[in-house]
Amino acid sequence: MKTIPPQCPEPETGPKYWRSLDQLAGTPEFRQWVEREFPAGASEWTDPFSRRNFVKIMSASFLLAGLGATGCRRPVEKIYPFAKMPENYVHGVPQYFATAFPSRRAALPLVVKSSEGRPIKIEGNPDLPGSNGGTDPLAQASLLSLYDPDRAMRCTRNGNGENKTEALDFLSGLSKTAGDGGGLAFLLEQSDSPSRARLQQAIAAKFPAARWHVYEPVALDAGRAAASLAYNRPVEPCYKLDQARVIVSLDCDFIGSEANAYANIRDFAKGRALNGADDAMSRLYAVESLFTLTGLNADHRLRVPPSLVVAVLAKLALHVLGATDMDAKLAELAAPAQAHEAWVAACAKDLAANRGKSLVLGGYRLPLAAHLLVVAINEALGAVGQTVEFHPTAAAKEGTLAELAAALQVGQVQTLVILGGNPAYNAPVDLNWPQAQAKAKTVVRLGYYHDETSWDAATHAATQWDLPMAHYLESWGDARTADGAVVPIQPLIEPLFGGITELEVLALIGGLTPGSPYEIVRETFRGLGGDEENHWRKFLHDGFLAGSAAAAVPVRHDPAELKRAIAGLKAAPAATVASLDVVFYRDAKMDDGRHNNNGWLQELPDPITKLTWDNAVLLSPATAKELGVFTQERLTGQNQKFFNPKVEVTLNGRKITGPVWIQPGMADHTVGLALGYGRDKTGRVGAGTGFNAYKLRASDALYYAWGASVKDTGDKSYELATTQSHWSMEGRPVVREASLEQYRKNPKFAQRMKPADPEDTHGKPIVEPLYPNPLDSAKANGLHQWGMSIDLNRCVGCSACMIACQSENNVPIVGKEMVGKSREMHWIRLDRYYAGPVEDPQAVAQPMLCQHCEAAPCESVCPVNATSHDDEGLNVMTYNRCVGTRYCSNNCPYKVRRFNFFDYNRHPLNHQFLYRSPLVAKTDGEWELLRWLKNPDKGNLPEDEWQLAKLVKNPDVSVRMRGVMEKCSFCLQRIEQAKIAAKVKARDTDHIRLTEKEGTVPKTACQQACPAEAIVFGDMADPASSVSKAKEQERTYKVLEFLLTKPRTTYLARVRNPNPAMPDSKEHPLPYTSEEFNKGPFSPGEGAEEPAEKGAL
Amino acid sequence: MSDVFPKWTNRLPRQIIIGALLAGTAVTAGVTYYFTPKYTRVGYEPAQPVAFPHSVHVKQLGLDCRYCHNGVEKSWYSNIPATSLCMNCHNQVLKDDPRLAAVRESAASGQPIEWVQIHKMPDYVYFNHSVHVNRGVSCVECHGQINDMEEVFHAKPLSMSYCLDCHRHPALRLRPLDKITDLDWKPTDDPRALADTQLKLGGGIVHDWKVQSLQNCSTCHR
Repeated sequence: MKTIPPQCPEPETGPKYWRSLDQLAGTPEFRQWVEREFPAGASEWTDPFSRRNFVKIMSASFLLAGLGATGCRRPVEKIYPFAKMPENYVHGVPQYFATAFPSRRAALPLVVKSSEGRPIKIEGNPDLPGSNGGTDPLAQASLLSLYDPDRAMRCTRNGNGENKTEALDFLSGLSKTAGDGGGLAFLLEQSDSPSRARLQQAIAAKFPAARWHVYEPVALDAGRAAASLAYNRPVEPCYKLDQARVIVSLDCDFIGSEANAYANIRDFAKGRALNGADDAMSRLYAVESLFTLTGLNADHRLRVPPSLVVAVLAKLALHVLGATDMDAKLAELAAPAQAHEAWVAACAKDLAANRGKSLVLGGYRLPLAAHLLVVAINEALGAVGQTVEFHPTAAAKEGTLAELAAALQVGQVQTLVILGGNPAYNAPVDLNWPQAQAKAKTVVRLGYYHDETSWDAATHAATQWDLPMAHYLESWGDARTADGAVVPIQPLIEPLFGGITELEVLALIGGLTPGSPYEIVRETFRGLGGDEENHWRKFLHDGFLAGSAAAAVPVRHDPAELKRAIAGLKAAPAATVASLDVVFYRDAKMDDGRHNNNGWLQELPDPITKLTWDNAVLLSPATAKELGVFTQERLTGQNQKFFNPKVEVTLNGRKITGPVWIQPGMADHTVGLALGYGRDKTGRVGAGTGFNAYKLRASDALYYAWGASVKDTGDKSYELATTQSHWSMEGRPVVREASLEQYRKNPKFAQRMKPADPEDTHGKPIVEPLYPNPLDSAKANGLHQWGMSIDLNRCVGCSACMIACQSENNVPIVGKEMVGKSREMHWIRLDRYYAGPVEDPQAVAQPMLCQHCEAAPCESVCPVNATSHDDEGLNVMTYNRCVGTRYCSNNCPYKVRRFNFFDYNRHPLNHQFLYRSPLVAKTDGEWELLRWLKNPDKGNLPEDEWQLAKLVKNPDVSVRMRGVMEKCSFCLQRIEQAKIAAKVKARDTDHIRLTEKEGTVPKTACQQACPAEAIVFGDMADPASSVSKAKEQERTYKVLEFLLTKPRTTYLARVRNPNPAMPDSKEHPLPYTSEEFNKGPFSPGEGAEEPAEKGAL
Repeated sequence: MSDVFPKWTNRLPRQIIIGALLAGTAVTAGVTYYFTPKYTRVGYEPAQPVAFPHSVHVKQLGLDCRYCHNGVEKSWYSNIPATSLCMNCHNQVLKDDPRLAAVRESAASGQPIEWVQIHKMPDYVYFNHSVHVNRGVSCVECHGQINDMEEVFHAKPLSMSYCLDCHRHPALRLRPLDKITDLDWKPTDDPRALADTQLKLGGGIVHDWKVQSLQNCSTCHR
């Protein structure tokens, strides 16, 4: 008999959420899909390789293994102690080093854990002033790139391997032959490294005629350029989002893709945090074309095509600036946005009412004139000095890529030195970069990968040296954070493949001494922090130079530049279905393509679209319908995979082809194209992912372009691997939400959304859990009782927790095909639900992980006791006991258990060989079965992948094999280590309890990575602990609590802060979710049959 | 029917049942004895590259375990000492002894001495030395009388049930912290009062130090 989930009996208020178009549409396919409980493939073997066949092969291999008799005897293992003991080293005790993740101009300060000499986990440095130790997914995942087997590993000249010393000799030879530097050009990436600046200066003094150029395909510093012009001095804006009560974002995804997003999230979350009904919270208005994380967190979101963003800004300026001599021009610019007059007027009123506490932000895609206007608006709002400060910075002196390309074309550059970056892939197409690069006689290229810019026989220069770049965890260096603090980059490991740093190359070419990277950085530090050795040591130990952060400088606004720029600004043509607007955006995971070969990031679902391993042509539902590519009619294949039509996007005669993804809430007549995919030359992981949107991108339209057309190719066979519709929650009040007003009226709204007690078949309310609760008695022995509280009002959905968990807990990547079958392994996921009209919905994000139910349904169905409770309330997995029945996963209402269908840790990175048999296949020229017999751990991993893949693993967590269930453990290893540390310290006393006061309570990996401090973990048995206090808040609720599973993970309901004066508030005063829920009780799936049996749980 | 089944076949079912029972008992007994760590591991005594006599160093010279195994109180891992540590003494003592050739070679070349591992936990067991030796469990409980061993051998089974025996009854094994590395220590010299004294002493330690000796799966498996 099929079990039909009980509906929530008439909650008083509460939301209704839909998660994908299919769910909203209630298509039969979707109904079938949902009612299967598990997506096809996630629960059964449906591959052509039949189970019978598989068993046959496996029994044959076991027989052979038996013959080898390796299984019976314990292998002899050797112990290799040091010959000479290093100082301060105890084997088995991890060491921590402060360093920083360099990222354009805003480095992210880190503390990196090293185990037996291998960097294995990246954390934020909590010691910096203002820092809470949060990070972002890119910094977390950069660890995996260190162990990438596709890294550039040797020096090559014209593609032929050369000795490293020869390469270095060549570089130092350049310093002698360069003369005054005429014909020598450097192409650099953006960086605020004091050492690089110093070397640049020294080289410029030696070679005054040398050219310097900087290129970032996605430059995030438009605000800096605008502020420097508006204030007539080089300054950098520094936002204080925690001080702002009203924030207006103009296509500025400051939570997701802008510079320094992790710090923005930290400050934004501070302004949104609620500890009681009397607390104030900030309000966020977002004007945007794509649906971004900022839009997800906005209280009011206005979707406009990119051609209207400047118009809306001009309108806002008209309201805020008052009468100026620019009125006529602004009115002209604002005219196309007349439809949004009421929205902008109310928003401007709110801004003005919060003078000194409001802030307007412009995104990196806006033109310079718009940024100048944003500066003027902030001036008028009294924001300067309050919510935005300006820090002095160095003026940019370097030229652009276009200038360099022009110089190359006319033969002014003989020697071109490219340090980092990948211009052959990501330069604007009209520069024709590969051809320009070939004009140089000699090219020296320092790159992390063998990629498009590396030597290529067809197009490239007469002589090209390619040098392998060192990873930042292998290099000496320095950098500045966004607020100017100097942070060290110190190596945790020798360069694995003899990588060279940018500083080394510069020093060699300049013939500068000292030339070793350590000495270079040490020398720079003398100028910054003094000569004393203890200052240097403190700098390395703390991970920052105290007092080096820039202080705000007084600035005087000069509108002259603004007037000039505004006068030159032309209104963009209106977007229509025949002339679509295009937005090129920095991908949340690939950035500009630099992380393309990082498996953790490739498999991380995009925060909004939930796509993995691909980018897509994003279209709004209405536009997709107009274009005839609405994907609702997806083909349903053998495994119920979802297929998407491929379209051809044409812009100024250039074409690309890619699959369509319908994005609710996108602006109409807009095409969203993520950069960073579709690489021609990349590693095993990135190969074949997505399409290359750079092919459409020209210098005059780097971020916004007009006049594109989209044509259906008729090909509907492209499969996109998404986690979007997986594990649908069927509309139960999983995420609970209210407006601030509702919350103040009824602080306990979340608990009132709890459905009435379900009834059994005799109509009696069920008050006892169905599942036994062995913890009731075991609790008495437990010293601590672990629990977690997740504040949905703080969580912005950035996904840093997902990568942190993956890194800490040895969670494997599974590949696109497996994700398509819902077999991704993430222990914590971010669910994203939509509510409201499909064209313009609101969205919410919710981290979902093992809830550690006290009455855990998974435990009572495990036939081998592999999952059980410990005294401290953790639902634990014993992998050795697990025989892979998957009953637990079937019985888990939260669907957070993950099953290893394959030996993902032992599978080659290119997953096309997933199903091949070890009996017929060879790796590295050796039969796989033979390899397996020799070393079962290595499996069929090629040697290079094996050597590197094992280095990234956390030694404190078991690496799970095929056939084993796994799930979140609340970072059990950290808990146990903390308990052990307390006991070791206690020795013969009884002080073994972990307390927050003493700082001995461990943090889970997700909690530690969260820049918003949304996740609180701790001891519920201690009433003073922060988790106990969080759970006491009125907004606390448990997900699916009517199942009486008694989860240890609770959530704090989300509160929106809409402005009642806004036009959309007049129509919809409550969050869409509450409004829809109030319409009536939810019935599963419109048009679906009524549940046959009430409460048949 | 007697043509088909002669009379002796009447006894056959009984014989088969008894035979099967006997065979079953033998197999069970065989497996429980020969397939357990008690048989497969105890007594394992591989030849080491350097014939290091613990008995001489500990019994005769009175070295503390922690002089060489100096990570044991801080780490999950009790380290084998670095060659440089051997040379602290042996650059003076037995300077030219042929038995120490491998040690001198290692110190000179910087290459490690390849010791053969004897005590080994499976990879899924996260045993931690520091928490045991800091909380009243002596080395001798798991490693046996190393101080008497000419060459180290596997003295205890170190099976899961061996671990659990102690975790279930910690009072029988706990001792004061200053006696952890005294492998010959006994709670009393009176052999008749031995068990009682230990129980009393251990019980006191369990109570006073709040010794947990947890039996959760998560205590050892992660």
